[in-house]
Amino acid sequence: MTQIFTVTDLNERIKDRLENDPRLHDLWAQGEVSNFVHHRSGHRYFTLKDRDSQISCVLFKNQADRLGFELKDGLNILVYGDIAVYRPQGRVQLVARGIKQDVGLGFRHLQFEALKKKLAGEGLFDLERKRALPRYPERIGIVTSPQGAALRDVLRIIGPYPARIILSPAQVQGEGAEESIVSALLALHGLTDVVIVCRGGGSTEDLWCFNAEAVARAIIGCDSPVISAVGHETDVTIADFVADMRAATPTAAAKMAVPDIGELIEGLQQSEVRMMRALWTSLERKEERLEYLRHSISARRMYSLAADARQRLDYLGERLASALVAELGARRVRLELVQGRLAAVGPLATLLRGYAVVRSNHGLILRAEDASPGEVVELILGEGRLMCRVLEIKDGSEVFLE
Amino acid sequence: MNKKEIGLEEALDDLERIVSELEEGKRGLEESLDLYEKGMKLVKLCNARLEGAERRIESLTGEVPPDLI
Repeated sequence: MTQIFTVTDLNERIKDRLENDPRLHDLWAQGEVSNFVHHRSGHRYFTLKDRDSQISCVLFKNQADRLGFELKDGLNILVYGDIAVYRPQGRVQLVARGIKQDVGLGFRHLQFEALKKKLAGEGLFDLERKRALPRYPERIGIVTSPQGAALRDVLRIIGPYPARIILSPAQVQGEGAEESIVSALLALHGLTDVVIVCRGGGSTEDLWCFNAEAVARAIIGCDSPVISAVGHETDVTIADFVADMRAATPTAAAKMAVPDIGELIEGLQQSEVRMMRALWTSLERKEERLEYLRHSISARRMYSLAADARQRLDYLGERLASALVAELGARRVRLELVQGRLAAVGPLATLLRGYAVVRSNHGLILRAEDASPGEVVELILGEGRLMCRVLEIKDGSEVFLE
Repeated sequence: MNKKEIGLEEALDDLERIVSELEEGKRGLEESLDLYEKGMKLVKLCNARLEGAERRIESLTGEVPPDLI
């Protein structure tokens, strides 16, 4: 049968249930103070919270006066008390009977800041002393818990990359974690090209060992570059400051440590193609050169050279011949000219006018008495000669000239 | 020097140098062929390294969790 509660009855029932639960009495709760109110009545009201949740708290005046310190927002405390239900508001609250400052955590934070300052002062966070990661590490050291998800993440990313993976197991939280991490780092000396120090997410408390000075110094003392990956993106530890490289997560750390194997294989294929192409290009160039040289000394070319020479020879020959002809012609002209002039001064022209030259075996006959009757004389005419016999000798007075 | 001892880094560096040298094309034919041959050997070596690699995990305390082997 369905029961119908009044609100009062319902809250009463919740109150009974909670306040009679022995596990909700005499308990310690840990958290941070917020919304602190010091009421006029002298009671203190505040909220106790951690990262994910919160609960209302009340500290009554008589207890508050015996506290010895004043509460304030942001303070980490341990509350001793009981769970109660404040019926008018139906509110579950923690009624404090005693409060202690959470000295541990607060002290640790101070220690964190002090150590950070100290190490920074030594120059250990300086970028200049960060070592470059090897491009192709052959030995990868991993300092982490063998059981952790972080190790599995790292190994998944490294995948088939061909490196020796050297696990140096460490306890990464709780009592003794610092010493364990330090000796795990030391154990890797001389064995690695790069070291990944990692652990997955956890509470600030869990990650605290990575804020230890001994751990920081062990990281600095590593003989190969160290990649730190502690917790989530938002968690920053001293280890991150001193490491050569800080990764947000173990997965990111692994990606920094090794190159992508797919890209590597692709790069190799490209190298192969580039070499082949370069070789072909060089061969082609040499072939071209060879072809050029071969062409230069080919029979055809020789023939053509010979033909050229022959042609030139012919040409020269022709020129020589015509030069000779011209020379001869010129000489003939000159000869004729000389002949003309010779004729002009010689007897020929006179003879051509009808005179004749008479001569005998004794020479020219200039007078009739130079010849004797019956003698043969030669008459040289303008054209031709006559051989004549002298019939009679006459003296000069009988000669008639027309 | 034993070829097996050449590291991946050294091999890849050598290869890169050889490829650049071939691409420059300043070498004679004989030398180019030698370089090419050397380069191809390195490619094979690297490929063998990358493809034939078995996961080698060891633990300094001697115990490797069974799911990682």
